[in-house]
Amino acid sequence: MSRPKRGLLSPLPLRARVILTFTLGTVLLAAFLVSTTYWLSRESMLRQRETASRTQFFANARQIQAQLRFPNPDFNLLLESLPSVSGSRSIVRTGSNRWYTNSLVPADLPPELVETVSGSPQAQSMRYQLLGKPHLALGIRLRPTEVSTVSDVAYFEVVPLAEIDDTLNSLGIILLVGAVVVVAIGAGIGISASGRFIQPLAEISSAATSIARGRFATRIARSEDPDLVGIVDSFIEMAQAMETRIARDARFASDVSHELRSPLMTLRASIDVMQSRRDELSERASAALELLSGEVDRFEHLVQDLLEISQSDAGAMESGPVNISELVARTVERLDRQPPVYVDEDLDNQLVIGDKRRLVQVIENLLTNATKYAGGAVAVRLQRDDNKVVIRVEDQGPGVAPSERELIFERFTRGAAARNRGSGDGAGLGLALVQEHVARHGGQVRVEARPDGERGAVFVVELPLAGQR
Amino acid sequence: MHHNGAVSIQILAVDDDDAIRTSLRLALEEEGWSVLEADSGESALLMFGRSDPDVVLIDIGLPQMDGFALCRELRRSSDVPIVMVTARVETGDIVEGLEAGADDYLTKPFAPRELAARIRALLRRAQGPTASAGPMVVGDIEIVADEGVVRKGGEEVHLTRTEFKLLCEMAAHPGKVLSREQLLESVWGYDYFGDGRLVDVHIRRLRTKVESDSAQPQYVVTVRGMGYKLQI
Repeated sequence: MSRPKRGLLSPLPLRARVILTFTLGTVLLAAFLVSTTYWLSRESMLRQRETASRTQFFANARQIQAQLRFPNPDFNLLLESLPSVSGSRSIVRTGSNRWYTNSLVPADLPPELVETVSGSPQAQSMRYQLLGKPHLALGIRLRPTEVSTVSDVAYFEVVPLAEIDDTLNSLGIILLVGAVVVVAIGAGIGISASGRFIQPLAEISSAATSIARGRFATRIARSEDPDLVGIVDSFIEMAQAMETRIARDARFASDVSHELRSPLMTLRASIDVMQSRRDELSERASAALELLSGEVDRFEHLVQDLLEISQSDAGAMESGPVNISELVARTVERLDRQPPVYVDEDLDNQLVIGDKRRLVQVIENLLTNATKYAGGAVAVRLQRDDNKVVIRVEDQGPGVAPSERELIFERFTRGAAARNRGSGDGAGLGLALVQEHVARHGGQVRVEARPDGERGAVFVVELPLAGQR
Repeated sequence: MHHNGAVSIQILAVDDDDAIRTSLRLALEEEGWSVLEADSGESALLMFGRSDPDVVLIDIGLPQMDGFALCRELRRSSDVPIVMVTARVETGDIVEGLEAGADDYLTKPFAPRELAARIRALLRRAQGPTASAGPMVVGDIEIVADEGVVRKGGEEVHLTRTEFKLLCEMAAHPGKVLSREQLLESVWGYDYFGDGRLVDVHIRRLRTKVESDSAQPQYVVTVRGMGYKLQI
């Protein structure tokens, strides 16, 4: 059989995969949006600032150019009169190395710019880092005039971009926070969507578990979702078919045993009459009557057990508080040869919620089993284990081989001990009933070897406790 | 005409199965009782009117008028002890039979000795309480055990003998919680293994008669996990 290909995420549970996919998707989307927004904003802000600075720069340059019409322009005064927009600073160079400035030193200018300005009639600009802060540097070589005594005049301006950077940082933080929020929302949607997506599956799974535990009437709600209709409907159909079938089987068993009850009633009553008139019978007739009576007893038990099993399939269980240690003690008291009953002190008056009749039958069947195959129970112990009561029925018989320890609780099976006995005085339903009754009370039954290594078996029943009377 | 002592006890056995009816008659006659047979609810009603039996044994699965209907019909005019017999042990049948007014039930196949024991317990109950006690008043309820009379707000309440015995048993231990097992033993003569539903259903029926609001009982109260008590 070829197994479906396993994806990268497939070792994870389905729901985790859905959530993870959603989250990853939002992370990628958020990262893309955030970076795009950031870069677009940054470019547009820088361009705006550059344009504004450039406009101002050209205005300033024109003023300086105008001063060149005079023979000896006072550049220092001029520079002071120039408007400074957003912290821009200016410097004028004449000749090859004469600088006029009021705040900017020539070393602050990027040398590359100074060089390109000297060699080109065009205005130049560049972004650069000054003292670790981003700045924009602009420069232009002015046109020489005939009157001016100065030649080779260049005008430079440096505009700080730091405040744009601050704005961009704030924007970045806002975008980052936004992205985190978006991712969180994405993950949240993933969780809720996957929950909704998984829910029908979870419902089906819990319904299946419930059905497996014997609650055949368990149903799930029909789905409106076209993607789920198929699986949900076929599940409902399957559950219905199974319930119908089990109910039919149970009804058949129940009908059969009911039909058997009427002739049994007549047999039982007639045998009773004959037994009370035994003196009138010959010895041979009396012996035959004993045989008949014994077989009718056996038949009666079989029908009873069959009916019990069919009811166990069909449902209907009484439920009420039962004092478990009292029930065990009273059941043991009914035996001819009574084993000692040891009860933990903290089990006094502890209650089990259940069907008294069925619980009596559990203990009774275990005791009968011990009587039939192991010479009778030698001890019954009730212990408390947290919120459970553990009932142990011990015998000194041949024990149960490990290979048979599960098998003997199945219907119509009997262990080696039972098979070795010539007369078949049991149909093999006693322990099956124990198992089913105990399971219906939310408990467990198993058989163990005796802990002290002696010959014999211990049947252990665990039932949940419901509190104290 | 009621029978007592040496005079034969008369039992009306209602079952549509001839073989069962005949074998039961044979077995009950071994106990020294006389048995009337009816094969349907309708003929049982006729026979009941003519013969006034001491105990009625009703099979639930009768044709036409079923055992429940017959039981309800008898209860309209009589508090004769009724034992229901059923081949269906599903919870529903037994509880419905008890609610229809049966005092006790047996499931087929039962040992005739068991039936005889149930009938004797019912006859003892029918003779009324042995210990004579003075009248007892609980709230607006007055119990006169000697006369077999219960009054609520001055008006006589009609109880079956089992209901009456149940009430007397609780009144004999006012305020004390009696477990189902105790009541099964003292009222029905069962041991620990009797069916607690007998008690539950009879308590329910008793409540509809003596409580002003049987959903919120003031007198016959349930003590969860323990049993019932008569609140004083």
